[in-house]
This record gives sequence, C-alpha cells and structure tokens, in this order.
Amino acid sequence: MNTFIEILSPDFLLREALIGSVLVGCLCPLIGVYFVLRRMIFLGVALPQVSAAGIALAFLTYRMFVGQHQHYVPSERWLAMLGSLSCTLVGLLVLAALARYRETVEARIGITYAIAAAATLLFLAMDPAAEAHMVNLLKGDILATTGPSLTLMAGVFGAVALLLMVFRKEFLLVSFDRDLAVVFGKSAGLWDGLLYLMIGITISLGVMTAGPIVTFGFLVIPPLTARIITRRMLTFSLTAAGLGAITAFAGFYCAYRFDLPLGPAEVALASLVLASVAVTRGLSRVLGRWQAA
Amino acid sequence: MPGTLLNLRDVSLGYDTCVVLAHLSFTVVCGECLALVGPNGAGKTTLLRGLLGLIPVLAGQIEYGFDRSTSPPGYVPQRDTLDPIFPLSVFEVVLMGTYGRLALLRPVGRRQRQLAADCLERVGLADLANRPFWALSGGQKQRVLIARALAVEPSILLLDEPTAGVDPGAATTIMDLVARLNRDQGLTVVLVSHHLRLVRALVHSVVWVEDGCASKGATEVMLAPERIMEIFGPLRGTE
Repeated sequence: MNTFIEILSPDFLLREALIGSVLVGCLCPLIGVYFVLRRMIFLGVALPQVSAAGIALAFLTYRMFVGQHQHYVPSERWLAMLGSLSCTLVGLLVLAALARYRETVEARIGITYAIAAAATLLFLAMDPAAEAHMVNLLKGDILATTGPSLTLMAGVFGAVALLLMVFRKEFLLVSFDRDLAVVFGKSAGLWDGLLYLMIGITISLGVMTAGPIVTFGFLVIPPLTARIITRRMLTFSLTAAGLGAITAFAGFYCAYRFDLPLGPAEVALASLVLASVAVTRGLSRVLGRWQAA
Repeated sequence: MPGTLLNLRDVSLGYDTCVVLAHLSFTVVCGECLALVGPNGAGKTTLLRGLLGLIPVLAGQIEYGFDRSTSPPGYVPQRDTLDPIFPLSVFEVVLMGTYGRLALLRPVGRRQRQLAADCLERVGLADLANRPFWALSGGQKQRVLIARALAVEPSILLLDEPTAGVDPGAATTIMDLVARLNRDQGLTVVLVSHHLRLVRALVHSVVWVEDGCASKGATEVMLAPERIMEIFGPLRGTE
C-alpha cells in the first residue's frame, strides 16, 4: 500500500515515466484496434522493429555526414524521432502499396521484420560510437522520460486520439466495408493514408518511449482482450484503451514494487489479463451450454 | 430520357486494362426491377461494380439520373465480404448506411438513429437491433444489409447475389422483401442472381450477361423455360 501511495505522490521521482507509460498503454491499443480489425497484427511486430532500425540509421547517417552526436541532449531525441518516424512511414507506405497482393502478405511482413532487425544491428555495428546508451534508446528507456518529452508525447497522442474520435465513422466505414465507402464517394486511399500516418506517429513515439516489445504488446494484447468482452465498436475502442492504461499502471507498480524490468512486466501483466478473460469467457460458455442441456 | 436512372452507352468494363465486358448499352428506368443473370464467371458482378462506380469505365459512358455525391445508390454486397471480427451490433451496421449523406465532421444524430431504426423495422428485424451482427443467420445478415442500403435513402438499390448461400426459406423471404420494396415503395432495383426461379417471379426485365456481352429484354422472353433449357440443360433450367 505504501508503494501505491508513493508512486501516486506528486513528488514521485519517476512520475514522468509513470505518466509516459500510461499514455503509451492508453494510445497504442486505441490504434491497435485497427490492427486487430484489419487483420494486420503481424504488421504490429514488424513496424516497431522498422522504427528501431530508423533510429539506428538516423544516428549512423548523422555521424557519417555531420559528425559525432552528443548523448543525453534534446537534439538526440529529435534525431531519433526523425529517423524512427521517417522509416516507419516509408515502411508503412511500401507495405500498404503492396497490400493488394494478399497472397504474399505474411511473407512480406516477415521479410520486413527480418530485414529491419538485421539492419538495426548492422547500423549499430557500423557506428563506432554506438554504446550501451544507444541500445537503450533502441529498446526504449521509459525511465529516462523527461518533462519536455512527456509534454510532446501528451500533445501528439492527444491529437491522434482526437482524430481517431472525430473521424471514427470514416475509419470504421473504410475498414469494415471499403466498397461502400467508395460508393459513398469517400476517398478510401486518403483515409487509409491518414490512419497509417497516425499509426506511424504512435509507433515511433511508442518505440522511443517504451521500446518495440512494449509497443507491440500494447498495440495487440489489450484490443484482443477487449474484443472478447465487447460487442460494439465504441465500447471496444474505449475498453481496449482503458485496459491498456490500467495494465500499464499496474505493470509499473509491479515493476517498482518487485524490482522487475518495466517493459516485460507490463507486457506479461497484459498477457495475464488476456489469458484470464479468455479462460473466464470459455468457462462461462461451457457452463451456459451445460445448463442449457 | 426522363425517368432514366442509369444509361449505359457503349460501355466497356474490366480490371486494369483487361476488358471483361464490352459494348454494353441499356437503360434502367425509375421503378424498374432488373436482374443481371448469366453463367458463372460471365461478368455479372463486374457489371454491378461498374454501375456502382467501384471499377473504372474503360470505354463509353454511364450516365446517372441522380447525383451520386449527394444521393448515393443503395448497395447490398455479398455478406461474406464483410469480416465477422468487427464487434458491431445490427443497429450499428444499419447506421452505417446513413453515413452516405452525412457531411464530413457531422456526427450521427437523432435523425440518423431514427432512420436506421425505421429501416430495420421495414426489413422486419427491429427486435434484433442490439444483437451482434456476426451472430445472425445468413438470411438475417442479408436483410440487415438491405436495411443498411435503405438507410442511404436511395433512388436505386443494387444487390449482389442477395440469396447466395442462404436456405430456400430465407431466399424466398429476401426476394419477397425486395419485391415489396419495388412494388409498394417504387424503389428501382438491380440485382445479380443465380436463382432463376425466384428472379423470374420478381423482375420486370433481365440483362443476360455472357461471352463479354450483355443483352436486355423482358423477363418472359429472356428467362423463357425453353431458352434456359437450351443454355443450362434440363436440370439447371428448373432452378
């Protein structure tokens, strides 16, 4: 109980990290809803890895053309953001452009993941200045979240959440029945583009803040949990976001209380919630059938 | 021509540069009930998609007797094209039909909700409004999709194989519903169907699609038993 009160205190040393963690936990599932509904879950594994490769590439390029970059300065974060966002968007655009060849979609995503993972390590190896700090930046170092980066994250995530809410009907229509959207005169490509842009921004910020594992975990696990217990679109999205935020907070608490690594603790907890909900749902169905018989 | 909703003038349709149907010329007038029929793979769905503007017209011209941007047509797709993973209630699916006339940034309001409820009532499924869409039977799903198309408040309804994969009882219910919408409410209907027996009893005219061409005629001529027998053989002719 003392730990719980401590982490809620305004003077808590890792307050920014806690808020950042909850923000990632809340927004990733909100975007992840579309990953699940559009059956793009594997893309959720590949894109965070592409984002990490983008960070490594940005530092390598900077070193090759400008010079050695300094660590622990704001410009380092901006450079990482630029690399992450541009690579994620390019990756998304390429995958989206090839999306109509449906028979090879899994192979393409698998190849993207393999190339991105290999490229990340190669870029790091090619940069003699790559240190443990760089590896932290690639894996995401949520404990290093600062006030300004938190403000930026809150602003960007807020804008993404607002756009998702305002254009809810367009995103739903284009995702559920693309033909009907075209019959209604909507530009499906434009709405896909806006959705992909928001996915790219969210993944880039998520990877920089919490790393690829946490980003992928929160993109997919809370929406899958919410899908089991909800029957409507709005409640599906809100439940996924709520579950993500609560799991992130609880994961942070467990990591702090039991001295565990934060990201894996959050993902493990989210998975535990998914397993519990799935088992409970399965049991209630079996019980229902048994009672009916 | 007054009262003409669709006017095809020497139209060619296909995918990319591959022409599937060529030199199509026919009209659909207000209040007409028309079926697109023909063998499998003849291009019936391609023709329907062309009429809907889902594929480009490769040559010729389709003139519309209504403003497609402000008053889009009602479209009923094959239900299998919709993914059951979406957690949508029956009411939410029907409500989607009202998006066709809603401007950007304009939220769904009381009028749209009332319209969706009325359309569900018209297809006889008002009591299923809160049920998950994916939990319905094939025939019920098809009627929900018809309700969604009605929520567009269309001047023309285009249906792609509305009775495909449903049991005979449900197929009759769906066709009766379409007939009622055409007869009682004057709604123009264009439908793709393999179900010749049901179509023969329902439609005024038929567009026969075969070998890259299409010809239009009265139902009793185009679907005369001897003609069907000649094309499909004695077994298929009685379908």
